Amino acid sequence: MNGAGPLQRIGLPLAFAVGTLVLWEIVVRAFGIREVLLPTPSAIAQRLVETFPLLMQHAWPTVWESVAGFAIASLLGVALAALLSASGLMRSMLYPNVVLFQLIPKIALAPLFIVWLGIGFQSRLTFSVFISFFPVVIAALAGLDHVDRSLLRLCRALTASSWQVFVSVRLPHALPYVFSGMKIATTFAIIGVIVGEFITSQAGLGYLILFASSQADTSLILAAITVLCVFGLGFYGIVALLERWTRHAFGA
Amino acid sequence: MDPTLNNPAPTWLLPHSTAPERERSYLTVQQVGKTYATRNGDVHAVERADFDIDEGDFVSLVGPSGCGKSTLMSMIGGLELPSAGRIAVDGHAVDGPRRDFGYVFQDATLLPWKSVMDNVLFPIRTQKRVLADHRPEAERLLKLTGLWDFRDKRPAELSGGMRQRVAICRGLANDPRLLLMDEPFSALDAITRDDMNLMLAQLWDQVHKTAVFITHSIREAVFLSDRVLVMNARPSRIVADIRVPFERPRRAQMQEHPLFNEICAFVREKIHEGHDSRRPGNR
Repeated sequence: MNGAGPLQRIGLPLAFAVGTLVLWEIVVRAFGIREVLLPTPSAIAQRLVETFPLLMQHAWPTVWESVAGFAIASLLGVALAALLSASGLMRSMLYPNVVLFQLIPKIALAPLFIVWLGIGFQSRLTFSVFISFFPVVIAALAGLDHVDRSLLRLCRALTASSWQVFVSVRLPHALPYVFSGMKIATTFAIIGVIVGEFITSQAGLGYLILFASSQADTSLILAAITVLCVFGLGFYGIVALLERWTRHAFGA
Repeated sequence: MDPTLNNPAPTWLLPHSTAPERERSYLTVQQVGKTYATRNGDVHAVERADFDIDEGDFVSLVGPSGCGKSTLMSMIGGLELPSAGRIAVDGHAVDGPRRDFGYVFQDATLLPWKSVMDNVLFPIRTQKRVLADHRPEAERLLKLTGLWDFRDKRPAELSGGMRQRVAICRGLANDPRLLLMDEPFSALDAITRDDMNLMLAQLWDQVHKTAVFITHSIREAVFLSDRVLVMNARPSRIVADIRVPFERPRRAQMQEHPLFNEICAFVREKIHEGHDSRRPGNR
């Protein structure tokens, strides 16, 4: 990347993270900070092992709702972007509104979804779709639009139909863009589900965090957050790998 | 100065075509003009272009930048419509891109995610032709242009000259009646460009197509063409029509022939003539 070797690229941030954890452990022990305020990393790890089945039980709804929300958002996002890119009328009508919506702090709308869709998974899933959808639309539209004009001229010369241009030129060109939008969408999809679980839920890591906080079980809160982090990292990692692959396969 | 001034007109300089001949030509460009409306008033990109092209001829349009030669080619190719006059193939007006034309642009415009072979076959797939009918020709073209060993490579793995060769193969893949080439070598370095000229001349010994070739390189135009149309800028029009009196196959040595240099000098003269008289106030 910037001339740094693998030791510096991977070893250094890892060493920093481990160092921070060690420092955290030392500071908490040295100053005798109570566990309810800030447990040590080792206490969190211990709690994580103890409550592992419980954590997994609550991780499942969070995971599937996030992944499903993300998948639906990705499909809808690409579809809307295709519509906006294909029709000038649709673009004039919708695009400014999409941008406007993008600017709204969408988390504030979460309670509305509960009002509309009830306290089941439907409201959380829909809300997750709703907030993770925008980065995909914006990125996909950029990809569909930024096709080399000379390629479009070639298509015109070859009497290609709009559908052919979309399938054989615009979409392949947009794929790497779509995946970079989807990378952002993974995080948003999880945020959407967690916020939904905070508001009303009987299961899920968001619920567990809220429950543990009501019990002043700070170790459990942080154990649940650790599980969330691992899931988020894995989710993001898979999409990032797919993005790398599309860049390799379809990038210029 | 002007070699035609004191001597009788050279035999390779053609007179302006006359009406009865027009009926028989393959491609007719009749009093064609193109005007763009801009904020600063109308811009006349092309004015009264008037010529015919016979089937089998390799015709170059050579002129300074801004003389409207690319606009003229776009109109011949049906990518733009003339604001005045008429362009016709076999007597039928060209009102859009034609499936029996091949197109080569200034940039290779290859699909970066497709292999060389798939790029060459792109027009076949797009125009929903039978792949099996055209694959042998695509393979032959790749062999003729020295790209056969690179058929599975991506465009990013090729040099600029090779990419442009792929574009030429693609232009020829659907066996067009006319190949339109818009400054295909202008983005290449001088040495590569010389190689490309030789390659194209040799390719033409094999494919024998009608071609319209746009360039601002005089030597390139004379070397490659059966006929050279010289264009001038502002007003953009054709100022000379030359039948290049060299047989095919064309070889690199042709460029040292006195007649070759005489023709090039004449073309240069014609281009500069228009330039100087039209820009009296220029510093």
